[in-house]
Amino acid sequence: MILKRVIFNSLTGTWMVASLVIILILPLIIGVALYIKAIPLFDLQSLPQLIGSSNWSPTNGDFGFWPFIFSSLYVTILSFLFSAPVCLFAAIHLTQFASQRLIHLMHPVIDILAGIPSVIYGMWGIIVIVPFVGDVLAPALNIKTPGYSILAGGIVLAVMCIPYILNMLIETFKTVPLGLKEAALSLGATPWESVKHIIIKKSLPGIISSFGLGIAKAFGETLAVMMVVGNMVQLTFNPFEAGYPLPALIANNYGEMLSIPMYDSALMFAALTLLVVILIINLIFRYFIYKTQKQ
Amino acid sequence: MKKLKFVYVLMAIVIISSCVSKKQKEKTLNFSGAFALYPMVIKWAEEYKKEHEEVRFNISAGGAGKGMADALAGTVDLGLFSREIAKEEKDKGVWWVGLCKDAVLPTISANNPYLKILKERGLTKEEFTAIFIDGSITNWGEVLNVGESKGIQVYTRSDACGAAGTWAKYLGGKQEDLNGIGIHGDPALAEAVGKDPTGIAFNNTIYIYDIKTGKKRLGIEVIPIDLNSNGTIDPEENFYDTFDAILKAIAEGGYPSPPARELYFVAKGKPEKQATLDFIRWVLTYGQKFIKEAGYVPITQDKIDHYLKKLK
Repeated sequence: MILKRVIFNSLTGTWMVASLVIILILPLIIGVALYIKAIPLFDLQSLPQLIGSSNWSPTNGDFGFWPFIFSSLYVTILSFLFSAPVCLFAAIHLTQFASQRLIHLMHPVIDILAGIPSVIYGMWGIIVIVPFVGDVLAPALNIKTPGYSILAGGIVLAVMCIPYILNMLIETFKTVPLGLKEAALSLGATPWESVKHIIIKKSLPGIISSFGLGIAKAFGETLAVMMVVGNMVQLTFNPFEAGYPLPALIANNYGEMLSIPMYDSALMFAALTLLVVILIINLIFRYFIYKTQKQ
Repeated sequence: MKKLKFVYVLMAIVIISSCVSKKQKEKTLNFSGAFALYPMVIKWAEEYKKEHEEVRFNISAGGAGKGMADALAGTVDLGLFSREIAKEEKDKGVWWVGLCKDAVLPTISANNPYLKILKERGLTKEEFTAIFIDGSITNWGEVLNVGESKGIQVYTRSDACGAAGTWAKYLGGKQEDLNGIGIHGDPALAEAVGKDPTGIAFNNTIYIYDIKTGKKRLGIEVIPIDLNSNGTIDPEENFYDTFDAILKAIAEGGYPSPPARELYFVAKGKPEKQATLDFIRWVLTYGQKFIKEAGYVPITQDKIDHYLKKLK
């Protein structure tokens, strides 16, 4: 009996450690594998050239990733600008002012939004957002665009990120002790003042981390964006023009991998870039969280 | 003891189910690839199942490039492929058989304001090249000699696909040379160009014409190609009205190749699975009679014999 117990104890112990180790080294394994596959590309062009050049012509051996990185960042920032304020205000209202019934109603809605597959968001983007941008928004601003644009991608992404950011914000605001808010109110603060000075201040690290995760998710989202963003290799600040984010590059050209030399390395490099950028985003937000927690 | 019994039962279930699934795996055929060939393979699968009930099919469309990549990676039994097989792909040990033919046609919206003029004069290969590749023609007035004119909105495919590859080859380029907004998938491209009165694109025949009525799908029109570059569409160049007419033109060579092209099954080396070989043999023999009905053009008997030899 004792022996059995010793065996089981050691087994459960090692299992747990092993699972943890696997999870910890997983990003490293992925990164190293992508790097090894991308090595042939580095012989062709230097790293600054790969990232900084905007000359994309795979058959001629020109791989400049800047238009793709730029498009990715642009779409992501747009989606963040659309979704962050909406989520913040909605979360404050839900946790501070809304009735219990509304909260009970909201939770399934958020879950459903989060559970919708991205291809459905993409279809919805083609049916609703693309015509909205092309036929309503653009003519109002006197611009001509068919609607497949960075802006459409940003809007679709924003809608996709809302459930994630909103859910996390609600959880964050819920952790603020009720006593703090009551103390503020009893000192004569208005409800808005108590939200501004107590709730937001207290949960700032949580707000930053939910925004960070939202951005990281938006940066990597592929299918829905690909369906509405227009997929044109170009550098433009005009949100009504088409863009070509990194994940779309990988997904679209997966099939070209074998017919053009070096293309497989190029796509692996694109994937590696995506991974690194998401890592950097996470690190930046980690730093912010660390800073705000210290205060 | 009870627990032990449970474990035995569980093990038995796992073992039995693994046997079943292995047998099932032998009888399941997986396909992925070209949108152009997708409706044809669906048709073949339906007919084949009537005779061979035990065979199961998984068919998905994702562009010819995906078909090739999946086939070479071994994740599907056969890839559907719709452009010329590149040298790099042959070097990787691709095995293929041709099945039937179809074509890529230049398309515009039925609401295009210059539809009538376009149908009368068509566009030459040089004009298509200027629009799709050089970008030297950017509005309809430049090419049609009409006063006020609207800009041309070029659409292309974003996914690695046979239609874009074949159309680019006709114009003397590669898929990456084609300008325009990239749309994922053939049905979505047809939808996008149909909705934009100034748009121009290219589609596979099967996504332009409705197989039941034989007419063009609602909202989409074909630009006739001015083959002899004399500035008008002569009666022998005008075969775009019905599905049958264009299929006849492809079969007789009236419509040039490319953009007409052969469609293939591809695999990494000759398939070893018996079910796969049986299905290919059936397609090249009995299956040929469904080709016309499904809206494609049969290949010549010489070619079929050649491909049948590859199965042995």
